[in-house]
Amino acid sequence: MSSAQVPSVAPVARRVRAYFAPVNRVAQSPTLFDAAQMGSFNLDAPPAPWIDLGWCTKFVRKCGTKIAALRTGAPSVPASQVRTEAEATVQLEFESWGKLQMALAGGSQQMNLLMTAGDGMAAAVPVTAGSTATTLNVGAAVNVFSVGDSIAVDQDYLGQTGFVGAGVSGAYVRSAADVTNDVNYIRRITLNVGRVVAVGSGALTLGAPLLAGAPAAGMQINKLTGFVDREGGTFFQEWSALFVLEGEQGDRVIFHYPRLQAMDGSAETAEVLSAPLERLRLNGAFRALPVKDATDGETVLCFRSYLPAAMRSI
Amino acid sequence: MQNAKDTFYMTFLSRIATLNPARTSVIRGITRPGVLVEENELTTAAVLPDVFRLRWVGSAIEPTSAMPLLRMQCEIHYGTDGNPGNGGMDRGRLLAAMDAELMTAIEASPRHALKMSYASAAQDQPPVAMATNIFWGELMFGDMKMEGERLQRVARVEVFSYQEAGEL
Repeated sequence: MSSAQVPSVAPVARRVRAYFAPVNRVAQSPTLFDAAQMGSFNLDAPPAPWIDLGWCTKFVRKCGTKIAALRTGAPSVPASQVRTEAEATVQLEFESWGKLQMALAGGSQQMNLLMTAGDGMAAAVPVTAGSTATTLNVGAAVNVFSVGDSIAVDQDYLGQTGFVGAGVSGAYVRSAADVTNDVNYIRRITLNVGRVVAVGSGALTLGAPLLAGAPAAGMQINKLTGFVDREGGTFFQEWSALFVLEGEQGDRVIFHYPRLQAMDGSAETAEVLSAPLERLRLNGAFRALPVKDATDGETVLCFRSYLPAAMRSI
Repeated sequence: MQNAKDTFYMTFLSRIATLNPARTSVIRGITRPGVLVEENELTTAAVLPDVFRLRWVGSAIEPTSAMPLLRMQCEIHYGTDGNPGNGGMDRGRLLAAMDAELMTAIEASPRHALKMSYASAAQDQPPVAMATNIFWGELMFGDMKMEGERLQRVARVEVFSYQEAGEL
């Protein structure tokens, strides 16, 4: 390649790739992305704990920050400026439907449709020691499962209050009575789900690692048939987000929102393929919440990083 | 402009040769991958079947960018008579195979390639890497057409290239 510097041009990209990482709701601690250290990551293998949400379309960032002039004199002239309001929003359409995409786009509790008594699974199956994020030891209960089953893995509900759910808080419980002391409640709202791709001697193999990693002691498994979300409710999902635009010249634009919450209820966009066939895309609309940037203590909503292509003028 | 055309051709040829090494043609006595650029070959009325023929049909330039952005329309013509051993009854399958190869070669990631100058090839020197990438848009398939026993199709793709300083 030539060693001469060439003019920088506006990035040209096709699509946006989205990534998810959990926010610790109890500690109010988001996952921060360091573009200096990890900005050039392989889009198909994001660094832990980031999870690939797939491609997105109709990605629109909006800045709602208001700037006002402080005026002085007669006639008054702007003497300086202040930010009177800071706001940032993001809208997009997810290209794929999955547990995470639905939970984030829906914004409220996103529950699992658990199989219980009468559905071929009388009780939750305990995960035993030695399990990993992709291999769950279940002993003799392995016969309950088949390749292709979807499962939820989490603790029993034993009267906990506050944020619940392994890896990612899936709900907020105000009282045991609110959730009728349902022993399966946490597995109903957990985002710690997976697909069984192999059933071996006393162990289940999952198609992808569980979001919460290796199961903790006491976790149990329920099979599930799908997901359900509701319009209304009081709980807001919150996540750390990364959106990457890969430029055709080898440049990259990264938008990082440490804290995003849904600002709309669940909605879809119908795209006509060939009438009457329609493709439903999940709509997501999110409002950024602030974090304190440890670099200088400033309160900020999002970060935009730009990694220029090789030998471009900067 | 020529560097962008050459780079796209070489990228496409390389991908087709990898996808289907058996897709070859004999042109002027030399066996080579079944991809050619019409404007680089001798004029002939004969149309080779089972070969991808690139035809550059239009171009435009956006001079306002920090580097002028060149857009070029490339038509990819191809067709098949089917396999004589099968009485040509497999021509639909063979055209579908060419559709799939074309789609895979064009749509495979990355959809860009480092621009190369092949001007030195005439002196048997290796190509020279330039500073920018060419890139291309979505593949648009045209309708299949029948000409006698032959099934043929034209696909279109738009190729983009930044015109680098001093580049002709």
